Amino acid sequence: MKKKSLFLFIIVFLLALITPLTHVNAASDNSLQQVKDKGTLVVGTSADYPPYEFTVKKNGKTKYVGLDISLAQKFAKDIGVKLKVKNMNFDSLLVALETHKVDMVIAGMNPTPERQKSVSFSNIYYTGDQYMLINKKDAAQFRKIKDFKGKTIGAQTGSLQYSLVKDQMKGNDVKGLAKLNDLVIALQSQKVNAVAMEEATAKAFASNNHTLKVINPGFDIDESQTGSAIGFSKGADSLVNAANKTIAMVKKDDLINKEYIPTAAKNMTSNSKTNSMANYWTYFVKGIEYTLIITVVSVFFGFMLGTLFAIMRLSRNRLAHALAVAYIEFVRGTPLMVQVMFVYFGIGAIIQSLPALIAGIIAVSLNSAAYVAEVIRSGIESIPAGQTEASRSLGMSQRETYRYIIIPQALKNIWPALGNEFVTLIKESSIVSIIGVTDLMYQMQLVQSATYKGVIPIFIAMVLYFIMTFGLSKVLGYFEGKMKHA
Amino acid sequence: MPNLIEVQNLGKSFGDNEVLKNISEEVTKGQVICVIGPSGSGKSTFLRCLNVLEDPTTGKVLFEGSNLTGISENELNNLREKMGMVFQSFNLFPNMNVIENIKLAPLRVKKMSDAAATQQAKELLEKVGLADKAEQYPQSLSGGQQQRVAIARALAMNPEVMLFDEPTSALDPEMVGEVLKVMQDLAESGMTMVVVTHEMGFAKKVADEIWFMAEGTIQEKGTPEKFFTAPKTERAQDFLSKILS
Repeated sequence: MKKKSLFLFIIVFLLALITPLTHVNAASDNSLQQVKDKGTLVVGTSADYPPYEFTVKKNGKTKYVGLDISLAQKFAKDIGVKLKVKNMNFDSLLVALETHKVDMVIAGMNPTPERQKSVSFSNIYYTGDQYMLINKKDAAQFRKIKDFKGKTIGAQTGSLQYSLVKDQMKGNDVKGLAKLNDLVIALQSQKVNAVAMEEATAKAFASNNHTLKVINPGFDIDESQTGSAIGFSKGADSLVNAANKTIAMVKKDDLINKEYIPTAAKNMTSNSKTNSMANYWTYFVKGIEYTLIITVVSVFFGFMLGTLFAIMRLSRNRLAHALAVAYIEFVRGTPLMVQVMFVYFGIGAIIQSLPALIAGIIAVSLNSAAYVAEVIRSGIESIPAGQTEASRSLGMSQRETYRYIIIPQALKNIWPALGNEFVTLIKESSIVSIIGVTDLMYQMQLVQSATYKGVIPIFIAMVLYFIMTFGLSKVLGYFEGKMKHA
Repeated sequence: MPNLIEVQNLGKSFGDNEVLKNISEEVTKGQVICVIGPSGSGKSTFLRCLNVLEDPTTGKVLFEGSNLTGISENELNNLREKMGMVFQSFNLFPNMNVIENIKLAPLRVKKMSDAAATQQAKELLEKVGLADKAEQYPQSLSGGQQQRVAIARALAMNPEVMLFDEPTSALDPEMVGEVLKVMQDLAESGMTMVVVTHEMGFAKKVADEIWFMAEGTIQEKGTPEKFFTAPKTERAQDFLSKILS
């Protein structure tokens, strides 16, 4: 069995290695033409980084705004295509670029030499300083880098600031988190003493939260590393050239300072005026809707597949049995988060139009199937052998025995455990937020970004999850009770 | 008398453990055979080999001339319905009530009409004295009642032979009688029966032949009178002295 699952693993792994390569080759350099043919420019960003990119609510709809988005709009207009924004974790942006989930990445990203190894960058379109966000009450204590001796510094994982802190503040602990919002919560709750942040972003947070303050700690900065540039997949030179043309025009007219940043600032103040939770209830409703869709669909397919795997595992066919065991052990032995990312970026590399929602549902269903298979198997195995013997001695076939004797009895045992799986999926499905599925968890993060409030949205999401799981277990308990009396 | 069941050089091993050793016997139509012997002697395994609930390791089991170990699953299913079996632990289907238990195989295997199956089930319940329990679920019946339902369920397939695997061993003493009574009636109606049992009184009264098993072989066989009064083997004498004292 061990050998079989190893074998499966190797196959999957090789598949994952091969697929991105084939596409890199295929992309060569008709990249600009491809985008023009499609008619849309798909842009990846991480919209929790005001004033570069963030969200506002307009007429109940989420809109992506910020100076990067304005620039991307200008670029799309210049090459005559529509703009489509895909929001995801900063960490996932480069992977999305490599797997062609997006045509370009604009996220206040610095073209560091490491990144240049895997990404082609445009010219720098904007340069900001590297700041620290601190609690106002510590303002007297922290002024320069040396004042932070022995303190914990927060930074966004995968960001330039993270490397700066690592390299220039060697005596300090660095706490890396994927979301700036979470870092700011950590700062406010004293988990970290400061958060290293890009100038404009730091100022945005401070202006929306009067317990915070910005300082310039004086990082030693290589000018070429602080500017922001647009990322394209390696070798997409025609797109890079087109982007450079747009950037040159924008720079000539100083559009960023004269137009984009003021617009972003206006959006930010309009956000902070409306940042009471009541204004964002539609966000949560949408989140609940998606969480329920993912859960219900995954429960359905998880049950179907799980039944299949259970039958395979119980079958006398050695191959079917081995496949089922390998699948179940492999899926149960790897984290759902990894599976979700693998399906989205791995399988998504083969089927490029695979939407995040579908990828999320596939991953959660496949994951659930393994657990459901075990529930069903143990349910079936809990039926005493005497039942089968009695049935077979009456001349009933294996199939008839399953249908009339084993399955009806097993279902009664399985039902409560299946219900638990349903409840578990409501919670587990929150992991799909990492690939940008707009479930409750993801919507909560949007509300955090939009309102600059860290804890309240978490609390609301927590209560909403509880209402869903508790309500569902009550409903299931009711049916279970009914079944017992039947 | 034609041979209904013919066992040829039957052997059965579980791993290294040889449970049955080279048994060759015959059961003729209408015969009532009681298989007795000490625990662990292979009686139940022998019985279960007769309808191939256990696959024999060596040898053959012929039923009405067909070798049960050498035929397809379908043919085996067809022959099994002619061999009713009653288990120590009743094995009624708990998800069905009494009459559904009895009707299931006639409906699904024999494709009998529901009316005919119901009619037959009612007659069988009458026969085992449980006409009033048709709608009850097995859990609500006593052990003796459950075993009588199990006998009715097996009879519903109109078997040629009935195999009983210690049918009264799991019962409270006061319930043994009602089950043995049903079995005795069945024997007197001419049913071919192979009964693995510890009920010596029943064996004496009802059996045509006693097969005494020990250590995986049939050590001796004979009429009840001969066996119980003058056992030939030392093994049988020893066994009888222990259980009769």
